[in-house]
Amino acid sequence: MKLIEALKILREALPPDAEPLTVFLACGFMPGHLETFLAAHLRRLCPSKAVTMETGLYGDLAGSLGRLTTSSAQAAAIVIEWPDLDPRLGLRSLGGWRPEQLPDILATAQARLRQYLDGLAAAAGRMPVALLLPSLPLPPFAHTSGSQMSPVAAGVQQAVATAAAEAAQMDNVRLANPQRLDARSPLGGRLDAKSELMSGFPYAPAHADAVAELLVSLLQPPAPKKGLITDLDDTLWRGILGEVGVDGVSWDLDHHSQMHGLYQQLLHSLAEAGVLIAVASRNDLALTQDAFARPDRVLPADRVFPMEVHWGRKSESVARILDAWNIAADSVVFVDDSPMELAEVGAAYPDITCLPFPTRDDQAAYALLEQLRDLFGKERVSDEDGIRLGSLRSASHLREHTTAGTDPDRFLADAQATLALDFSKAPDPRAFELINKTNQFNLNGRRLGEAEWQARLAAPDTFLLVAAYEDKFGPLGKIAAILGRAEASGPVVDTWVMSCRAFGRRIEHRCLEHLFAKLDAETIHLDFAPTERNRPLQEFLASFLGAVPEGGFALSHAQFAAKCPPLFHDVKEPSVA
Amino acid sequence: MPDLHCRLMECFAAVFPGLGEAEIPRASFTSVAKWDSLATITLIGVLEEEFGVSVPPDDLELLVSFELILDYLRSKTSAA
Repeated sequence: MKLIEALKILREALPPDAEPLTVFLACGFMPGHLETFLAAHLRRLCPSKAVTMETGLYGDLAGSLGRLTTSSAQAAAIVIEWPDLDPRLGLRSLGGWRPEQLPDILATAQARLRQYLDGLAAAAGRMPVALLLPSLPLPPFAHTSGSQMSPVAAGVQQAVATAAAEAAQMDNVRLANPQRLDARSPLGGRLDAKSELMSGFPYAPAHADAVAELLVSLLQPPAPKKGLITDLDDTLWRGILGEVGVDGVSWDLDHHSQMHGLYQQLLHSLAEAGVLIAVASRNDLALTQDAFARPDRVLPADRVFPMEVHWGRKSESVARILDAWNIAADSVVFVDDSPMELAEVGAAYPDITCLPFPTRDDQAAYALLEQLRDLFGKERVSDEDGIRLGSLRSASHLREHTTAGTDPDRFLADAQATLALDFSKAPDPRAFELINKTNQFNLNGRRLGEAEWQARLAAPDTFLLVAAYEDKFGPLGKIAAILGRAEASGPVVDTWVMSCRAFGRRIEHRCLEHLFAKLDAETIHLDFAPTERNRPLQEFLASFLGAVPEGGFALSHAQFAAKCPPLFHDVKEPSVA
Repeated sequence: MPDLHCRLMECFAAVFPGLGEAEIPRASFTSVAKWDSLATITLIGVLEEEFGVSVPPDDLELLVSFELILDYLRSKTSAA
């Protein structure tokens, strides 16, 4: 993006119902074009938001970090450059580069980084933070030639790397990846010495644009995809299984098919991080099972569910996989080496991301691995991620029983279900994640920002119910959250979400029953709004009201009790210390 | 060079969104309230990107009106 484009974007009219989005840019230099580019990239990514930027004072990064703890901004971008570590590492200081001064430059840099990390941790307690560590070239301050790394420059770089390792582990801190910036903005073109000396803004416009784009991608990351459907022949492995047999397909260096092994390795890694992996292949099932049984396979068969292997159309396989996963097509990536298969699936499911596997092009295949990591990248791997696949198998088992004519009451009574209902308002990242990614069982589709979430939990009139489920088929983990507030007229639930993995177990009924009891309420107001995707919740409400309500309404305990089916969960409440 | 004039109009419109089309050719540091030192830096950044020129700090004091900037760009681009 050029500067004039950024300015034009910022001139565009906002929708009348634009929600405010305030981002604090904390840096020690003049924010200049970086502020412009940041605001423009935010506007482009969030056209319905009225973006406002806040900035601190020139040369006072520590002060800006301090102000973040009382700022009303919803997010922060923190950009640290060399002069913030020691002014002698910038062009506007004449403090000296004499050899005897170098150890003091290193010591100052180490001390300042410690100070910034403390400020960063405090800021991240209030809002999500995108952090960029020094991206400019170090000035020629040390005694070695530019080709040789001096001990003090190595020491400064080491201090920054140590700070990066600490910052990357902090909750709510998203550290910018310097490799991604290197790919977008070559090191030699980043510094604008004239601008730095004239106005205190050190970035060339193209670098400011690249930095802004990277920071915005961290502050407003796209929702990660949830599932990947892969082909087998010339995709998961090299070769056509039906032609060359189980021992003829390969994924190793010896057969020049290592990229397929790396693809399997990535899929295994994704699966362990909670991504759903399925196979859709026109193949022989028995042969496929034998191939997966090979001791050298990298992706184990038990990490794949379901395995749609037959001679029917791929789009039919995809339909069954989506049904088993119970997720929308727009959360799924389909990988196949055949352009025809990609086109067939793409036509049936336009929202699926269809990606070709470039079988004979290692460089392109490597780029695919990077692209997949981007599409599925997530900030943290939670306990729920580790049990997602097991719970889906269990859900599939449950569906098979209920559709096979088994009495649902008897099936649920035999499930030995335990529901842990936590009413403690303890900050729970999983509850926050559920609120911001659940679509189907969602009271009104409303999302919460980090700052709003923290403020709601701190409010004395707020109540929060978090439900975790387990039965004899395995644990589902934390699968539901209800957020509300006590008002004079009675409790109001404004957020209610439940994972689609938990459908069909009457967990929603038990949660509501528990809410009536804990709040000692005769009626609960549900701040419902229909959305394009919350049909499961609409059907749940209609089971009490006889029809889907048009908007918010009060549900009485009598209405609830009259229609509530038998519940078989063993309810547990965590003991309060 | 009408093209240069139009392109400079576009740059001014981006940096000073409050200025009408008729006002831009008469715009100057003294007549436009929002033309402060920060706006000058933004304007110079836009001009350098759009016209591929480098404006030395010593030239900044010359660039205080639309007309003067237009003359400056004419001299720079014809010299190139």
